[in-house]
Amino acid sequence: MTVSQVVFILLSIAALGGALGVVFARNLFRAALALVLSFVGVAGFYVLLEAEFLAMVQILVYVGAIAILIIFAIMLSRRMMSSETQPWNEQWVGAVVVAAALFAALVFILSRVDWPATEAQVPADSISQLGQALVSPDFYVLPFEVASVLLLVALVGAVIIAREQ
Amino acid sequence: MEISLPTFDFLVVAPEIVVLITALLVMVVDMVIGREQKGRLAWVALVGVLAAGALSYYLWDGSDPALHDMLAADGYALFLNLAILVAAALAILFSLEYTGRVGLAQGEYYTLLLLSTAGMMLMAAAINLMTIFLALEILSISLYVLVGLNRAERRSAEAALKYFVLGAFASGFLLYGMALIYGQAGTTSLAGIRAAVQAGGEPSALLLVGLGLMIAGFGFKVALVPFQMWTPDVYQGAPTSVTAFMSVGAKVAGFAALGRVALYAFGDLQGDWRWVLAVLSALTMTVGNLAALRQANLKRMLAYSSIAHAGYALAGLAAGNAQGTSGLLFYLFAYAFMNAGAFAIIIAAGRFEGATGGGETLDDFAGLAARKPGLAVAMALFMLSLAGVPPLAGFLAKLYVFGAAVRGGLIWLAVFGVVNSVISAYYYLRVVVSMYMREGRPAAVPAPVCAGLQVGVALAAVAIVLLGLWPGPIVDLARVAALALLGG
Amino acid sequence: MVPASYYLILSAILFTVGAVGVLIRRNALVVFMSVEMMLNAANLTLLTYSRFLGDVQGQVFVLLVIAVAAAEVAVGLAIVVALFRHEATTDVDEANLLHG
Repeated sequence: MTVSQVVFILLSIAALGGALGVVFARNLFRAALALVLSFVGVAGFYVLLEAEFLAMVQILVYVGAIAILIIFAIMLSRRMMSSETQPWNEQWVGAVVVAAALFAALVFILSRVDWPATEAQVPADSISQLGQALVSPDFYVLPFEVASVLLLVALVGAVIIAREQ
Repeated sequence: MEISLPTFDFLVVAPEIVVLITALLVMVVDMVIGREQKGRLAWVALVGVLAAGALSYYLWDGSDPALHDMLAADGYALFLNLAILVAAALAILFSLEYTGRVGLAQGEYYTLLLLSTAGMMLMAAAINLMTIFLALEILSISLYVLVGLNRAERRSAEAALKYFVLGAFASGFLLYGMALIYGQAGTTSLAGIRAAVQAGGEPSALLLVGLGLMIAGFGFKVALVPFQMWTPDVYQGAPTSVTAFMSVGAKVAGFAALGRVALYAFGDLQGDWRWVLAVLSALTMTVGNLAALRQANLKRMLAYSSIAHAGYALAGLAAGNAQGTSGLLFYLFAYAFMNAGAFAIIIAAGRFEGATGGGETLDDFAGLAARKPGLAVAMALFMLSLAGVPPLAGFLAKLYVFGAAVRGGLIWLAVFGVVNSVISAYYYLRVVVSMYMREGRPAAVPAPVCAGLQVGVALAAVAIVLLGLWPGPIVDLARVAALALLGG
Repeated sequence: MVPASYYLILSAILFTVGAVGVLIRRNALVVFMSVEMMLNAANLTLLTYSRFLGDVQGQVFVLLVIAVAAAEVAVGLAIVVALFRHEATTDVDEANLLHG
């Protein structure tokens, strides 16, 4: 086993363990911490896939902003921390069946497809290439601009919904 | 390092830019004008929407330009722009008095309405998985907020939560589907995916799984069975003017992107997706109609009816031919008028109930013809058109999509549609009967109906009559638009 | 060197776990977290393909999705807080004033 394979297994344990923790933890706060673990695990995969910039963005946005926001929301609605209400709803049997079927189908297909045996060479300046692609008019500046509209929507929307009457 | 300025032909996205700038303008004006002048924001918004509509029409010269494989201003996008802008303009007219009555924050209301409109237009224009996803999120997130904007009403907040949770869930499926398609095709551009599909021979199973997941994601947006469960609660809980807007706009945008992905990118795999859409279409119209039969609340009834209409419109897509596509486009255009109009009458009826928030049930409509004959005539027209009674727009729309389904070899689907239309006539006519045949109680508040709403209702009513009697010009436009998508 | 299919199967598992979380849990915040995991799984798929295809589009897409996720969470949590003011619950199923 090579080093990267060992790392892959460790990261898998983190990402999947965190994910299972979110779904099955009875305490909301623990679920949020498990979510952080899962996010960090995925960031590790990004490093393994040699996308260091995205790994950093993943940590900054998902762990630094999204997870923290969720924890804030948990604390803002304090009653939830103490009350560990019925965690699962009644449709869990059906849900598990549907999810298992989806998963089986995905794995069956994924394991049969031929994949490129070798990874493509990552250019040394991949980050600057990504940056150029994002703002170059010939590539992705348009979705980049559209994303700014999206952030404006979120800004206006979150303020108007959450502000006191 | 060399920095080049973008060399865009901004004219391609001029209608979207006009709507976006108007949204920003509304925000700024909102900050500088006094509290009692907020009503004027609606006029700013309306001017922007009308300007964008005029631009969309003016830009349509058959050249079908595209911006870097991201957005296109082809006939397909411009035609759908018109339907979306009709819905937005009507919604603004219907909101004039309603926003004040229920106490919505007008600056944010019109800003988000315009941003959502821009998202829908971008979605109609999107020719890349990235732009489709972003546009969908713009329109969805602004709709989540608009649904929950009535903060005095707890139902509104609940509806927003329900819509958000299920909407985000659907986005997850959509995105995963896009990821699988990207992996198989090696590109996110729809043209690239089309080329990959054409070159591929036997399609890879993952590509089809990806398409299936995307259909599920879009199916949620346009409320196809089995992704429809949020619709009645959200339509009922949302402010009625928002319901009028989203019941049309979100459907048009969802069908726009679904049409592009299925008919254009996966056009060569018709055999693989047509039967899925046909089954979904039959299920959707049946479930929607059967549930609508049992509703006493008109907002809920119209919610189920809108599910049924998504099923009818989908029949045009399932037909998989040019007639079906132009039929779908005509359907969406006609639907914009009749459905938004029906919700407008509910807004008007609520006016007579004072602050109780009533005016939504069948009983509230009893005897409306005696009290407000004009409103009753308009409502009767909308109901008959939704039921598909000739010679109104709704009848022709159904004729086109079912006719296309027959030509596409889906005779059983057309039969299903006709039977369903007959069933649906029962609950639409029940409203008409209630207005004309039953004794009503006098209005709690004998208030006049807002002039803007009257104008909007009159326009919508005239439009469905004209579309029914002289469909020629719009049908021709729809045909050109369909050819822009399918190539012809 | 880890083959692509490992990453893809792992993200399929993550996606499924997230979907199960949305379907079986009642609490709105847990449902949010599960949705975020689904988006994460989709991102991992995109990035894996991007890496093995040697194509930058996947990375750009991931970056945009992260922005979308942030926007979604901001609005979603605002809605939760607004609803909590009304009725002090974040239970999705309990919020059933509107009957089917």
